[in-house]
Amino acid sequence: MGELDHWQPVRTSRELGRRPLGVRLAGQELVLFRTGDGAIGALRDVCPHRGMRLSLGTVQGERLVCPYHGWRFTAAGDGESPGTPKLYACAEAFAALERHGAIWVKSRHATARFPRLEPAGYFPVRVLRHTVRAPLEVVLDNFTEVEHTGTTHLFLGYPTERLAEVETRVETTEDSVRVINRGPQRWLPAPLERLFQIRTGDVFTDAWTTCFSPVYTEYDQWWADPRTGAPRPYRIKVFVFFTPRDGESTELVSLLYTSAPRWGRLGLNRLLEPLLVLLVDLEVRLDRRMVENLADKRPSLRGRRLGRFDKALGENRRRLARIYYGCEEQAVL
Amino acid sequence: MRGQPLEPARADASAPPGQGPERTDTVVIGAGPAGLAAAACLGRAGVPYVVLEREQQVAPVWRRHYERLCLHTVKEQSALPFMPFPDDWPRYVPRARFVEYLERYAERFGIRPRFGQEVTELVPAAGAGWRVRTAAGSRLEAERVVVATGYTCEPCVPSWPGQEHYRGQVLHSARYRNGAPFSGRRVLVVGAGNSGAEIALDLWEAGARPALSVRGPVHVVPRDLLGTPAQRSAILLSKLPLWLADAIGSTLARLAMGDLERYGLRRPRCGPLTQVVRYGRIPWIDIGTVALIKQGQLPVFPGIERFTERGVRFAGGREEEFDAVLLATGYRARLDRLLAGAAELTDERGYPRWHGREVPGRPGLYFIGFANPISGALREIALEARRIAAAIAARRGTVPQG
Repeated sequence: MGELDHWQPVRTSRELGRRPLGVRLAGQELVLFRTGDGAIGALRDVCPHRGMRLSLGTVQGERLVCPYHGWRFTAAGDGESPGTPKLYACAEAFAALERHGAIWVKSRHATARFPRLEPAGYFPVRVLRHTVRAPLEVVLDNFTEVEHTGTTHLFLGYPTERLAEVETRVETTEDSVRVINRGPQRWLPAPLERLFQIRTGDVFTDAWTTCFSPVYTEYDQWWADPRTGAPRPYRIKVFVFFTPRDGESTELVSLLYTSAPRWGRLGLNRLLEPLLVLLVDLEVRLDRRMVENLADKRPSLRGRRLGRFDKALGENRRRLARIYYGCEEQAVL
Repeated sequence: MRGQPLEPARADASAPPGQGPERTDTVVIGAGPAGLAAAACLGRAGVPYVVLEREQQVAPVWRRHYERLCLHTVKEQSALPFMPFPDDWPRYVPRARFVEYLERYAERFGIRPRFGQEVTELVPAAGAGWRVRTAAGSRLEAERVVVATGYTCEPCVPSWPGQEHYRGQVLHSARYRNGAPFSGRRVLVVGAGNSGAEIALDLWEAGARPALSVRGPVHVVPRDLLGTPAQRSAILLSKLPLWLADAIGSTLARLAMGDLERYGLRRPRCGPLTQVVRYGRIPWIDIGTVALIKQGQLPVFPGIERFTERGVRFAGGREEEFDAVLLATGYRARLDRLLAGAAELTDERGYPRWHGREVPGRPGLYFIGFANPISGALREIALEARRIAAAIAARRGTVPQG
């Protein structure tokens, strides 16, 4: 397996309109487009004729038309030339489709399985995308520890001064790494607590599982009564996908869900959705600002002084090498 | 030997010598959801009963269904009597959780089925009541019998010309667990019921290359429309006159799913509610398969005409190659396997014509769990179980508790 052999989200559905869209995926330049009958095409963004960027072209019916000489390609890559009807031209095609509000791409003959993203009991809210100028490993590190949440974030996470009280536990399987954190919720403005049905003094649990084909982390975040342990009704689930643009930058595609039925609480939950989207977007931007300011963005962990919250990092690296890159585990440690 | 009465000598051998058949008030046949619900209600009503189950555990069919299956009906409308699903369980209960629920249910109501007891003979006893005989040689006599063997008793396995020369694998959906063994392979899924549509999706997610074979027209509805489950909309619609409900139902489905005819899925002429009410056909409740079809990831072919050596030839003459063919062609109730003269009591599809009440002309015979109404099969089971227990208790003169 290589980086392109997994189903990875590259854009949100909203971002891909009628015009073709050029994207980078693991160092490759691709063009995405919607065909007239609703399929998604993903081709290498180079016309096989004279090397024009196909993303500057237009879509006509089922075909993407190159702006230079008008050669036309289907989503499967089969091309034809208006001037030379018998000519056979072929653009390199990738498997592509739209699901769960995102556009997904993988190489055509790879048989990787599609991640299971139907969280029973949760309702989809929004899909967000952020580009972070840092390698995949470095971004993943940030998103798989809670030690930074007190300093980096505004709302979610644990207060830095009480971080010592936070319990953190790592559970691993052959192909996943699970981290469970439990500790005091940081201070929140009272109206926010009221809206999300949280009480002051609640215990906040931030539990997540990272999988590696493709690379994504499924976060479960909920608040509970500190005495009884009974969870509050409003729970959040986010799937964050780490899709490499190239060695220096990473696309974060976040699929946001809540446990609150859309029209519950007389429609209040529906009105809360934009607020939740705003909060999550803000928190990811804060993560991005911190990660982009790192002095050392080497993917390697060698020579780093790691603490008790960093236990998952090495476990992630080993699975990243074996499952995602398809190489020896030692290669990326 | 299936369906044939056992030789008397062998049957008697396992019963203690000199003893007649065991007597009980009510025998419940089957320990799936219907059998357990009936037993719980009978227990509450103070009716002595015996549950007979052909396999070694409760809910054996549910244990074998494919792994990704979730109930299509919301948990509030799917629980058995007296025991709601836990609050923190998902809205659409996954299969494994449902099995866990049924185990807890049996435990909570003290239901101890006799396992390994396949009923082979159910006949009216001389005078009144019923005589029950099992393959293991047990003999019982009861005043009443509640048949809860379910409509998934036996896989329905059709065959086609040329099948014996096909080199690939043919298997029924009853034996499908997950898509992993099919990764990278071309698989034809036959049948556009809910299991066919979901198994095709499951195969695709597992990296297989599935296609669907759909013979006739089919109604496709989204599982949730604007956050409202299809089941809830259906319950509301069923309160309207049928023609109006059909009109609203078809319009909503068309708005939500778009025109599917160009992808090979024709809509039936009769409306979605009429289909359920008259013909017992539940629509295809979509959980994502249609999006794959629309994007060309999952081709739809017509019905199979014949098998070839490497694949199949479809009606219309097109031939395609497949490594495996998966038959999502449903199940049969097979009441004829236990009940003599079952044909008089069943409709053309082999399901009983009476649900949850005493069968006219067959005193003491009840069927439960064979109806598949628009409001959900499990919800119906709960209603039928309460109704049967109340009727039996009234007949016996005992007062139901709770």
